[in-house]
Amino acid sequence: MNDKTKNESIEYILSQGLVKPQTARRRILEMLRIIGFRFIFWDIGYSLFFTAITLAVVFLLFGFVPDDYRYSSSIAVAPLLFLLITMFAETSERVCRLYELKQTCYYSIWQVTALRVICYSIVGLVFTTIVTIISTDSGYEFFSLFPLCLSALFLCAILSISFMRFFRGKWVNFVFTATWVFINTIIPFLLREKWENILVEIPIAFSTVLAILGGVVLVYQVAKMLSEVKKYVIA
Amino acid sequence: MLLLNNVTKKYGNFTALEDVNLEFSNGVYALLAPNGAGKTTLIKMLATLIFPTKGEILWKGDEIFGLDASYRDIIGYLPQDFGYYRNHSPREFLLYMSALKCIPPSKAKEKADQFIDLVGLWDVGDKKMKKFSGGMIQRVGIAQALLNDPKILILDEPTAGLDPRERVRFRNLISSLSKDRIVILSTHIVSDIESIAKRVVLIKNRRLFANDTPASICQILMGKVYETDNISNVKIPHLVLTEHQEMGKTITRFASESNCSDGACSVSPNLEDVFLYIYRDEVI
Repeated sequence: MNDKTKNESIEYILSQGLVKPQTARRRILEMLRIIGFRFIFWDIGYSLFFTAITLAVVFLLFGFVPDDYRYSSSIAVAPLLFLLITMFAETSERVCRLYELKQTCYYSIWQVTALRVICYSIVGLVFTTIVTIISTDSGYEFFSLFPLCLSALFLCAILSISFMRFFRGKWVNFVFTATWVFINTIIPFLLREKWENILVEIPIAFSTVLAILGGVVLVYQVAKMLSEVKKYVIA
Repeated sequence: MLLLNNVTKKYGNFTALEDVNLEFSNGVYALLAPNGAGKTTLIKMLATLIFPTKGEILWKGDEIFGLDASYRDIIGYLPQDFGYYRNHSPREFLLYMSALKCIPPSKAKEKADQFIDLVGLWDVGDKKMKKFSGGMIQRVGIAQALLNDPKILILDEPTAGLDPRERVRFRNLISSLSKDRIVILSTHIVSDIESIAKRVVLIKNRRLFANDTPASICQILMGKVYETDNISNVKIPHLVLTEHQEMGKTITRFASESNCSDGACSVSPNLEDVFLYIYRDEVI
């Protein structure tokens, strides 16, 4: 090896060693600057429209739920905004013929999806708060139900991301949303008041810890989504 | 330099590609094989869309999957089935792709304009793509592949849907682009690459069959290709390659392993002859 090659190799090794791994926060900010909200949510107008229509129908039905099922119905409905928007937007993204091409770009579509999931989670959080406020009459009830609804939202978000990571199927979000609705319909139907009583009796401290844990796992999952693109080859 | 070392791709028990070794430097590389031979599998591995089951793909000595975004930053890819947004214009689409390719917004507009002009779509740059012909859509696809000034340009069946004039224009464009980058072009249309390919890569039975210059590839059939205006006179075993009409006669081009003296004259083989000869048992 001559001196020139040796020096080049040393410089290369040093330069690699000096590069700090990019944190998820820095990556998000950089992506927002380069891509911008316009292109993060590019061409998902139809998905937003269908989400709004479906939610309107759900809210209409939610008004008819008897007071005896407030907890179970609130927990079922709280993650729906997140689930519906993920289902419509990400399913249409996956069936789009450009999905493959977008996976080969510097910012792969998987990373853009991660950014969208952050936005869906924030909007989902607001929606969950509204659902809880509508469903409760007192401050105590609010603080009892809110962590449970939050836990449900975070659980759905974590599972949605996991299914997107581990299954390549185009309809994975659709199947998960349908499963969530089915389970939350069948359990109260089978257990009746028992299920509602179980939920009411969950200690606030326990559900709060559950919600915080869920939030932490969700943040971890999104950070992973942003950095581990090569694990999510599509074909 | 892009290097493939003993690359194999399997889907369950089915082997799509086996033990492929290739080396790419600047210039046009044509992957020439019939449909279903494994061209797209190879292309998808180079575009990081699928992993090799065995072997490695290296860019300047580093594994491309490990390089992650820094490798994707230097590739331009045009898939075989190029989707597009019907309700958006080429300019909007190129701006979108620029964002995904990490081109700052300040430069993206300039780049979009430059490539819209380059592929001859300036007049329709702001028209919705739903009214575009197949050839126009393909040109948008070529433009998006060039946006990030890629060092490796990967084009899967890029001339599909282009009319003869567009094909010539495309050939000239690829030829000029290949001076300072690797262009890997998959096709089964010989005329697309005959004049511009630095090397032709032939895949047969899922393995690398040949990797050589077009002239050297043609040597495979040197002295074995003939033309005659009366094929019924040819009694030796032969394979009919092509037929064309000339001054009211049907001129048949054929290949034969034996020396032919049945009124046929020997001609120089071209890439199409070799392609038809090599893949004579396969559906093309």
